[in-house]
Amino acid sequence: MKRPSAATHMSEVDVQPGSQQAPRRPRSRGLGDLALAVTAHGSALLVFLMAAFLVGVLAFAAAPSFKRFGPAFLVGTEWRPNELERPKLGPDGKMVIKDGESVMEIIPPAFGALPVIFGTAVSSALALAFAVPVSLATALVLVRVAPRIRLGAMLSFMVEFLAAIPSIAYGIWGLFVLAPFLQRHVEPLLQQLLGDLGAFRWMFYQRLTIGGEVVERPLALTGRDMLCGGLVLAIMIVPIITSVSRDVLRAVPRAQLEGSLALGATWWQSCVAMLHYGRSGLFGASMLGLARAAGETMAVTMVIGNNTTIAASPFAPAQTMSSLLANEFAEASSELHRSALLEVALILLVMSLAFNILARWLVVGASARPSDAS
Amino acid sequence: MTTMLTFRRAAKAAVVTIVLGAAAALGNGDVRLQGAGATFPNPLYQKWVSEYQKVHPEVKIDYQSIGSGGGIKAITEKTVHFAGSDAPLSKKEIQALGGESAVVQVPSCAGAVVPAYNLPGLTTELNLTGEVLVQIFTGSISKWNDPKIAGLNPGAKLPDLAITPAWRTDGSGTTFVFTNYLATQSDQFKSTVGTGKQVKWPVGQGGKGNEGVAAVVQQMPGAIGYIELNYAQQNKIAFGAVKNPAGKFVKASPQTVSAAGEAAAKSLTGTVLVANIWNQPGDQAYPIASFTYLIVYRGLKNLKTPAEAEALVGFLSWAVQDGQAITTSMDYAPLSSGVRDAALQALKTITFEGKPVSTGGR
Repeated sequence: MKRPSAATHMSEVDVQPGSQQAPRRPRSRGLGDLALAVTAHGSALLVFLMAAFLVGVLAFAAAPSFKRFGPAFLVGTEWRPNELERPKLGPDGKMVIKDGESVMEIIPPAFGALPVIFGTAVSSALALAFAVPVSLATALVLVRVAPRIRLGAMLSFMVEFLAAIPSIAYGIWGLFVLAPFLQRHVEPLLQQLLGDLGAFRWMFYQRLTIGGEVVERPLALTGRDMLCGGLVLAIMIVPIITSVSRDVLRAVPRAQLEGSLALGATWWQSCVAMLHYGRSGLFGASMLGLARAAGETMAVTMVIGNNTTIAASPFAPAQTMSSLLANEFAEASSELHRSALLEVALILLVMSLAFNILARWLVVGASARPSDAS
Repeated sequence: MTTMLTFRRAAKAAVVTIVLGAAAALGNGDVRLQGAGATFPNPLYQKWVSEYQKVHPEVKIDYQSIGSGGGIKAITEKTVHFAGSDAPLSKKEIQALGGESAVVQVPSCAGAVVPAYNLPGLTTELNLTGEVLVQIFTGSISKWNDPKIAGLNPGAKLPDLAITPAWRTDGSGTTFVFTNYLATQSDQFKSTVGTGKQVKWPVGQGGKGNEGVAAVVQQMPGAIGYIELNYAQQNKIAFGAVKNPAGKFVKASPQTVSAAGEAAAKSLTGTVLVANIWNQPGDQAYPIASFTYLIVYRGLKNLKTPAEAEALVGFLSWAVQDGQAITTSMDYAPLSSGVRDAALQALKTITFEGKPVSTGGR
């Protein structure tokens, strides 16, 4: 019954003579301490266990797909859940004929994750390309301009308010406002401006294999495409990049700023110096944004077109890892299909984890070692 | 001490209340049946359940629309009493259920898949053929004013607009029917896109569920998507007529879908009834039609009491007879008389603990 730690406590108290109550109080405190310690440690352990369990369960469920496709899953370009039945072709490229009938062969379902890895990478990269400049500019205003004109609190509130909007709301806005606007105004205008230039031809045409021949046909401009997905994601990651960047820029030592001004830097040059000083933290802020963009599901599913192919054009529909899961998981057509989807989920989890760890390391590094100026 | 006692007393009272409450809710002789499966007939099944309960208040039926695949999985694991599925059971699935002699599968109603489109300025109804649909959904026809479409629609003002095909991204009976129909129209389609609940479409935009495809169609000028007839009707989405094997352009309606079903009635034999009713002969028959099915164990080995068995067989028999009267008002196609007879015959072979189940009075 007696635990060594509790015993030490009691003996310490027992040294003091006098009150009858003395031995009782420490024991009850010992129990309380014990309960708290168990709860706290247990909760902390639970977080680790949950994460480990999540990875474990996903890996276990993805095993059939991994066994079937191996590492080729990562570079496979075809995502086809149904079987194909087609005439068997002999080594000479002609149909195999037996008893006057062509022999049919069954092509099993194929699952390759490259189209969705591509979709996630490109949509997130587009989102970063739009969001980082806006976020850095906003963060600079928040740190250097807003306090002087007493707008800091309000601007900060507005940025954080953006973060509180549920993602389905962004999705609906993207679907009903942004996508039609892109389809009716932006994309036709871009086509008029760039469509005739050879260098931009790839943006407006797609290659298709029809009846064994590769043909080029104009792309239907739909507004529900990679570009729209990237834009919606950009708006969704602006708040996190802005608020982390703001904290990073605030951590830039005042001496650094005053020093650059004293050396005759213009306001603009001193801003650039600030950004340069905090660059690793700012990079980390962008990584956090990237992790959020890569994992975002609902809004992207609504606007990206959900076509699991690799198309070069930003005006072609695409699919991300998370939108693939949202679309297909509930009605997966076979155990292999389900398993392949779970392998995609595992890849997404590992990728987001890597982004997050990298980002934390960079951001914490930046604010913990402000004196490490280079 | 006193607090402890009070607590115990309260707990005891609570337990008693819960037990009594449950007993009261499940009155004497009440029967509870659980079903799950296809989403497509869900509105009709919910209506059937509420109508049936008006006649038989002692039978409580709960149908959950978790998808055809989920329904088949659930009945295989015996967690539900009956399942609904848009695609008939595959050989593998029948084996998992214990073989052909252990299963009864009957059509409950018929549905159609329609080509819905968004063409601003078009005042007439569009005529399409299976061949043209194949070419649209594989990308070889890419503009609405293509001569192949114009040739079917003399006099129609077809715009110079890019075509965006819209399709289901989730596995669905709708895709199963549509791809099977297109496969009858083109060997090329069969060997490149193929058939199934979910396929890889070479061009166009995906949407999740009927509502997802309908959203693409309604929002995007130039889009064409395949959706369920009842969904198109209830949401007032324009859709075209399709040429049937008899050479007539037929628009989907409960009548033309039933006509397609009747043509297949002769092929319905045994206890696992299967009939593919796309591309059927007959001037009236709409070519992209299909049955949706109800599935039970023939020996009802997942039921416990004779009362449950009677209630289940009673409900199913009611559904394929009296229940058919409300299909049309909900934009589903009723089973034609030949199909009804075949379904009733199959239901009569159901036994419970080795004895035929009486449905007298139901």
